[in-house]
Amino acid sequence: MAKAAVLRKPKKKVNPLDKESITYIDYKDTALLRKFISDRGKIRARRVTGVSARQQRQIAKAVKNAREMALLAYTTTAR
Amino acid sequence: MRHYEIMVILDGSLEERTVAPSLDTYLNVIRTAGGSVEKLDVWGRRRLTYEINKKAEGIYAVIDLHAEPAAVAELDRQLRLNESVLRTKVIRPEVR
Repeated sequence: MAKAAVLRKPKKKVNPLDKESITYIDYKDTALLRKFISDRGKIRARRVTGVSARQQRQIAKAVKNAREMALLAYTTTAR
Repeated sequence: MRHYEIMVILDGSLEERTVAPSLDTYLNVIRTAGGSVEKLDVWGRRRLTYEINKKAEGIYAVIDLHAEPAAVAELDRQLRLNESVLRTKVIRPEVR
């Protein structure tokens, strides 16, 4: 029912960056960046990743820099 | 003086051991302009996730340096003139 859906509290997400105390998001750290992209190479939304707005911007920048340097893929041909 | 980080992708068909000395000659641009080169890190040969100039492999190198903006711009320009340099990226790690 619609009313039940409104009342349901969303599960609180733990910030994955704060948990590992990462302050600087490096575009060279592809292992870290891979956590924030889907299997098709798209950047995951903030509601999925659970990071702060500022961190999300830094992640987006880092992913785009990594793509430019052929460290991450722009597109995946699989599927 | 500003801290810069420059990443260079070189042609994968190059000899890996010649990379560090040849990059070092380029870095003289920085040294003569009064800058200092902190670190020259050659990652070695690596598969590119997509082809650049029809090449599937590249040799990655990361340079850490302190220099004036003009000196870095000149270094970047000279690197781009070299045909075996597939791509460069200049980053200021503190600016985020």
